[in-house]
Amino acid sequence: MFFIIKIFVFFRRESKLFFTNITDLFSNIVFFFLSIFIFVFALGTDEQLLKTIGVGIIWSLLLLSSILSLRKFYEEDFNNGILVIIHMSGISYELLVFLKIISHFLFVQLPFLISLPIVSIFFNLPTNEVYNLIITFFIGSLILSCLGSISASMNLLNKTNFSLGGIVVLLFSIPLIIFSVGINNAESELIYLINLLIGIALIFLGIAPWSSAAFIKLAISNK
Amino acid sequence: MLLINDLSFYRNNNVIFDNVNISLANGQITQIKGKNGSGKTTLLKVILNIIEARSGEIFWEGKNIKKNIFNFYNQTTFISDQYTSSRKLTVYDNINFWKGLSYSQLNDNDILLLLGTFNLKKYQNTETMYLSAGEIKKLELLRLILEQKKLWILDEPYNHLDNLSIEILNQTFIDHVNNEGIILFTSHYNPPINKIDVIDFN
Repeated sequence: MFFIIKIFVFFRRESKLFFTNITDLFSNIVFFFLSIFIFVFALGTDEQLLKTIGVGIIWSLLLLSSILSLRKFYEEDFNNGILVIIHMSGISYELLVFLKIISHFLFVQLPFLISLPIVSIFFNLPTNEVYNLIITFFIGSLILSCLGSISASMNLLNKTNFSLGGIVVLLFSIPLIIFSVGINNAESELIYLINLLIGIALIFLGIAPWSSAAFIKLAISNK
Repeated sequence: MLLINDLSFYRNNNVIFDNVNISLANGQITQIKGKNGSGKTTLLKVILNIIEARSGEIFWEGKNIKKNIFNFYNQTTFISDQYTSSRKLTVYDNINFWKGLSYSQLNDNDILLLLGTFNLKKYQNTETMYLSAGEIKKLELLRLILEQKKLWILDEPYNHLDNLSIEILNQTFIDHVNNEGIILFTSHYNPPINKIDVIDFN
């Protein structure tokens, strides 16, 4: 019972921090929209071309804009030492990372879902592809949150070179991109690809808490 | 009772401290003194198992803390020299968060009273980033009362405090020790408390 209260308190704090930092989210979404606009303007008005490359471009820009928000993942909590206080209250680092991933998924990634149908209009995507995009992003954003947790906790050890964290996310998101963009070319085997994506998400959800917790412990003892 | 046995810690093969033996009985208040950079903060962190020791053992009430770490944390309040309050949350939100983490039994009236004694009542709904250094330190020290734990470990608790707050803090220390609590803190200031054990750490 007390344990559930702790988790509830954790999420209440995360949601309060989310509403005070809501401008960060807006700037991320604006970045996403502007980069989509730039792509559309740069490619011209070829309707067929936009239709064929639309999903690929949307996914690559989603990845880039999700890297923007990574810095916030652990750094503030790590620098003021609240990670240690939360740990000392009886929550292991592994569970802490898991809760952080869930809250990042809820508060940072899911708002992007709303922008996806709007963005699809610019690429003239057919409705079924928009549905596919939304389903794949719903699962894929969980994978992105896990990758973000790993790279952000790695970056706690390395305060000068931020691009290294971005490289980790881009490297590990290659399977995500392959399967989520490929879903449009394989309509008869839709459910298999979705299952595969869920499988990847579960693998990363299994790996991320342990590896991030190890990095955080290392960073705390090297502080 | 906290027993520290032959504790040593090395960083990059440099000795930070070696063979430290401390025993803290119930109702005992202990101050660690030492030069800047002599490893006082590191010692506290090693005692709390936040940083892994190179060798040595720590026992809390007869049990090795490595095997019963959450049992040990459950009876410990640690106030670090950093500001653990979230800068963008209000004073009240921060207190509520700490209260939930430690499932404290205090109700809202007690908390208002506590804020009143430290002169923080008017900042209830102010974000912590607008408070001064001393006020944030006082907010941190509220965790001592809020969490109601037995062992208090504090890192430089007297920093930034004004004279009145120092008096209140000293009185709090005396009350806690009289209730069989244990206090371990580092400071360069000598508080006027009787029966204070001083460990010279050089």
